[in-house]
Amino acid sequence: MVRKQYSNYGEVNVTEWEPPPLHAHNDIELWLGADLVHLPIVRSVVATIATRADFDLDAIADLRLAVDEACSTLITRAIPGSKMRCRFTAADDELRFVGTVRSDSDSTPSTKSFGWRVLTTLTDVVDARVSTDGHQGHRVDIELAKRRALLDVPGAGA
Amino acid sequence: MTGFRAEPAKPTSSNEYEHLAHLFDEFAALDPNDPRRAELRDRLVTGHLPLAEHIAQRFSGRGVAKEDLVQVATVGLINAVDRYDPGRGSDFLSFAVPTVMGEVRRHFRDTGWLVRVPRRLKELHLSISAANTELAQRLNRAPTPSEIAAHLGVSQDAVFEGLEAGNAYHSMSLDEVLSGDTENLALGDTLGEEDAALEGVENHEALLPLIRDLPERERKILGLRFVHNMTQTQIAERIGVSQMHVSRLLARTLERLREGLTEQDEGTSSS
Repeated sequence: MVRKQYSNYGEVNVTEWEPPPLHAHNDIELWLGADLVHLPIVRSVVATIATRADFDLDAIADLRLAVDEACSTLITRAIPGSKMRCRFTAADDELRFVGTVRSDSDSTPSTKSFGWRVLTTLTDVVDARVSTDGHQGHRVDIELAKRRALLDVPGAGA
Repeated sequence: MTGFRAEPAKPTSSNEYEHLAHLFDEFAALDPNDPRRAELRDRLVTGHLPLAEHIAQRFSGRGVAKEDLVQVATVGLINAVDRYDPGRGSDFLSFAVPTVMGEVRRHFRDTGWLVRVPRRLKELHLSISAANTELAQRLNRAPTPSEIAAHLGVSQDAVFEGLEAGNAYHSMSLDEVLSGDTENLALGDTLGEEDAALEGVENHEALLPLIRDLPERERKILGLRFVHNMTQTQIAERIGVSQMHVSRLLARTLERLREGLTEQDEGTSSS
């Protein structure tokens, strides 16, 4: 099976990817098998983070759909049996998501696809990068950011 | 029926039950302990069974097994037979139809959750949904969880819990039953307009047939969100369903499109 020869990739990558250090207060990181069955978990995590950060309900729902879309794109490109890393950063003014997988292909996800249209409609910043860092395969990142809507909350200036 | 007997065509209108009407008068007049009551009750329930089946049929295809629906509708029918009072003047059918439908709706309400969610959370979820709609109208945008908490006078944690409960909500459930009429959608925007807006998309040739296959309401919501760039709250107001329901429908639609596009990709790459 093709699958088998890759089975150790993920574990090797964990130590060699050198993800940026986690900021204790803002950052949450999730490692999962790059498999579509895990999508509901990633969706729930982003929704929970956005809810607790008190984003409005439209933004929470949009983030859920956007992360779903981004992760599906990543997972379909990932080397079978490898892992996906999801980093969520909740700041005062925005929620940022970076999804990363290793792929056999070095092509950047198309900005002309319907999926890309979905991502740009749902979020404020969308970026896709492919880099080759000497490790097996290519590293594919999709980064999303959703800004907090400016709320006219009474006393917000205080 | 494959009718090998020369029976007249089965009437489908209310006169199908006309021959049972006089039994109600007799039934109502009997002493509660009269053994004849039980016999009449049986005949009335059995005679009206097609009505229960007909109503169950109307609610089928919504994620609850047909047999379960028929059973629930039959319970509703038995209740209707027991409670009907011919002395009130209205005929049995106009009393029974809402009674049976009410029983089926209640069944959706109580069991239409994918994961069993305590009733307290269901109720909390429903009040959050109502607060969401009310606040959205007042604020002209979607409210935040803390605004909903303040509005309902509950803690923010309670709102988190209620929102999570909503995610366990069967996506083909109560909202669907209560707002399932797509006929009354005002479909102002034409499909052509949406097609044109998607022309810049590289896979639009593959996409358009998938979009055309969507149910009318799903297609409409997709267009409003991704072509007209309306927020879910604005779409909810326009279509007449809750924002949470728009959210579920959109998630389901995007998933369906993604699956469709993947299948086509696989089809072309393997050939």
